[in-house]
Amino acid sequence: MAPSDPRVEGANGEIQAGRYYGRGIPYLPIEGHPGKLIAIEGTDGVGRTTQIQLLREWLEVRGYGVAETGWTRSPLMQPTIELAKSSNTLNKLTFVLLYATDFADRLEKEIIPALKAGFVVLSDRYIFSALARAGVRGIDRPWLRSLYGFAIAPHLVFYLKIDVETLIGRVLEARGMDFWESGMDLKTGDDIYDSFRTYQNKLLREYTSMADEFHFRNLDARRSVEHIQEELRRQVALFLEPAEKPAEAALAR
Amino acid sequence: MTFSLLHATDFADRLLYKIIPPLKAGMIVLADRYAYTAFARDATRGVDRQWVRELYSFAVKPDLTMYFRVPIDISLDRLMARRVKLKFYEAGMDLGWSSNPAESFRLFQGKVLNEYDRLVDEFGLEVIDAVGSITDQQRVVRKLISPYVNGTHTEITGGTV
Repeated sequence: MAPSDPRVEGANGEIQAGRYYGRGIPYLPIEGHPGKLIAIEGTDGVGRTTQIQLLREWLEVRGYGVAETGWTRSPLMQPTIELAKSSNTLNKLTFVLLYATDFADRLEKEIIPALKAGFVVLSDRYIFSALARAGVRGIDRPWLRSLYGFAIAPHLVFYLKIDVETLIGRVLEARGMDFWESGMDLKTGDDIYDSFRTYQNKLLREYTSMADEFHFRNLDARRSVEHIQEELRRQVALFLEPAEKPAEAALAR
Repeated sequence: MTFSLLHATDFADRLLYKIIPPLKAGMIVLADRYAYTAFARDATRGVDRQWVRELYSFAVKPDLTMYFRVPIDISLDRLMARRVKLKFYEAGMDLGWSSNPAESFRLFQGKVLNEYDRLVDEFGLEVIDAVGSITDQQRVVRKLISPYVNGTHTEITGGTV
């Protein structure tokens, strides 16, 4: 049962923001939905959540309706994923499919309705984290792209780029290294520090390899929170304001 | 989509734990339903046909697939004779086509059967007329299976695909 055309449609031509990457969800047409989808990507501990909180406040003050969504946060799948992670039965393939199910649930129940209602949807991680993690674990990349062909191409994808050395310092300061974030399931060795370094290095390479394909806008995650936020706001404003001008936004100038 | 992906996850789990190991050991695996069930059911629910096929491209292609075909009325009669209540999803009640379970079942499973008919040619399924007696069907089944059997052990796997 070989896939006949395993590539995401966008991969061999232009990815169109706000459209499905691949075959999409036939019973949920999304053309003409007024909302905007903004994804903030980056590996663990890079500061995504902080940036999203700040961005959300700023957007709301400017009069935008903001909805947030984050990886594995679907009510349907979160308990199952936690349970599966804590047991030893998870295989890399079932892992990938559980994540995809979680994403599908959030897409249908949160993201698409919010886009339809004209919200700015801020996504804390998007499919790229899933593609990176699965890619590192040796899952076939064309198959993954076909699987996520039901995902919507975000209008903007910000990638918080960091190097492993800086990342290690931050993660150790904040909360220590965690089993999954260190890729201990890959069994590269018993030492969590070495495993973290090897695993995160591979992950960062995966993200980098996707940058062109999916139009990442790189942000230097080593800069201060304020600096990154300023750059984020500048680019978001440039994108949003010609498209729609809420009264407050116009007055604020 | 979540319905489709949850079943694929369950299938992947069973493939890796229950199907591939016995195949490696040279056993015969009998699967009660396979990926074809998903192809038929998910397409009926409006999921893209090609997407589902690519999703399941990690599955092992069976050496032999038998499709037991019955008209929708016979299938409904048989179910009603055994059980009082039709299952919510089996009757496609989630699609809201009819509030009457039997009517919904007829509409939904009728479309599922049409999808199966597409699969027969696409994947070379062996069609078995499941209207006839069990003995007659079993005779056909044994004839089809005989070329594959030569004293190996048998593993049965079942459940929802």
